[in-house]
Amino acid sequence: MIEVKNITKKFGNKKILKGLSFTAKKGEITCLIGINGAGKTTALNAIMNLTPLTSGEILIDGKKLTKESYQTIAFIPDTIAMLSQMTIRQAMHFMKDFYTTWNQERANELLNFFQLTETQKIATLSKGNTAKINLMLGLALDVDYLLMDEPFSGIDIFSREQITSVFTSHLIEDRGVLITTHEISDIEHLIDKVILIDDGIVVKDFNAEDMREQEEKSILDVMREVYVK
Amino acid sequence: MKNYLKLVSFELSRFIKIYIALIVVTTVSQFAGVFSQSRNYAATVNQTLQQESFSLNDYFVSYPPLTFINVTVSGWFIIPIIFSAAALVFYSFFIWYRDWFGKNAFIYRLLMLPTNRINLFFSKLTAILLMVLGLVATQLILIPLESALFNQLLPDYLRYNLSTQTIISSSEYLSVLFPDSFIQFLIYYGLGSLVLIVLFTIILFERSFHLKGIVFGGLFGAGTFILMLSPFIIQTKLSPYYLYPIENFAIELFLGIVISIFSIWVSHYLLNKKITV
Repeated sequence: MIEVKNITKKFGNKKILKGLSFTAKKGEITCLIGINGAGKTTALNAIMNLTPLTSGEILIDGKKLTKESYQTIAFIPDTIAMLSQMTIRQAMHFMKDFYTTWNQERANELLNFFQLTETQKIATLSKGNTAKINLMLGLALDVDYLLMDEPFSGIDIFSREQITSVFTSHLIEDRGVLITTHEISDIEHLIDKVILIDDGIVVKDFNAEDMREQEEKSILDVMREVYVK
Repeated sequence: MKNYLKLVSFELSRFIKIYIALIVVTTVSQFAGVFSQSRNYAATVNQTLQQESFSLNDYFVSYPPLTFINVTVSGWFIIPIIFSAAALVFYSFFIWYRDWFGKNAFIYRLLMLPTNRINLFFSKLTAILLMVLGLVATQLILIPLESALFNQLLPDYLRYNLSTQTIISSSEYLSVLFPDSFIQFLIYYGLGSLVLIVLFTIILFERSFHLKGIVFGGLFGAGTFILMLSPFIIQTKLSPYYLYPIENFAIELFLGIVISIFSIWVSHYLLNKKITV
């Protein structure tokens, strides 16, 4: 389980996170929702130790993040974390070189599914295909937790559909997924847990299924209640 | 260790095209310099002999014969060396900033590698040092080859034959690149490495604290500079030759090692606790 405990983060005089706390369990898709500037990306960066916290604590399966943790948790940022001059094959070699959890079979499976070829250069890919490669580089790691920052941001509907279908496949099964997105409609039916954040704190968190069954409200309905006042 | 070596190889591969271009430019320019200098010299001698009705013996009473040292002070020879050095100085900054800026933020990947983050520091440092030594070694190979071409282009009576060692020790620039003694080599290249280590720490201060980081980095750089000069500053107050040269060397060596270790420790701390993507 990923445990984010009362984390705060200041950029200069501006407080971005003001005591954010939530958990994301293995085997569940947890969605972090908030308007721009709410602190979603900062929270993911903090989990991966890509930005220092002012205070608070983050635990992965009860332990603080170490270099070994990067073999059990992967982050897919909203921009591809690979050199654009590389071909897809070179990018995969790079991952294979450094990660013992790299699963080449799964990478090939994803490449086939996305209908991309190894010889293509990352720089020449469309935005949608770049997002798919970014996703492939994260998903092909045999990790317990996957963090995804806006995986649908600015990409065409067909690419979004392909990426969404990944969420229902065995590629995600049994893993803990923590995702931030604006395109909630694409994955609403897949989300297990929702965490609504605003101005650096959690304003509401709930189980999406329970909300649908008990209160007959969609995630969008709850978002309207919380954000549209 | 394995990841460090992989990162070094990766860093070298990222600069290899520009690096080869630098070697090619240096080689072509210096050989062109040998060719042009020797041809111009032969033409000048012929012209002077014809115009002044000198004999060759008379000519060499008034003018010295050409040596390879004359070639080494020409722009053809020096400019590519300065250009290569400037390129490596520029790349010492770029090797970090290229990972943050540009179309893709590769720094995400580097910082998330399952290895000690200080390996990023050491791999970039090693890559720059290897590139410097590689260029120096290339120059060392080029000098005897260029000297051989020089000897081929000019007849015996128009030139002095010089050994590679004499050529190097007679040139202001080359004697810095190839010091006379191993101790001097350690001093020059050790100081270069120290400057690079401190520079990397300053860059990491900036990458961690941005505007404030420039101030912190500036103070850190100034502090290390003053500390390195402190034995000499103190001696100017006491007496200019208060310490023997060997004592000065020992103190500077000690300070250099202490500053390097401290700078690496600060970089390790910044990379693990303060760096931000």
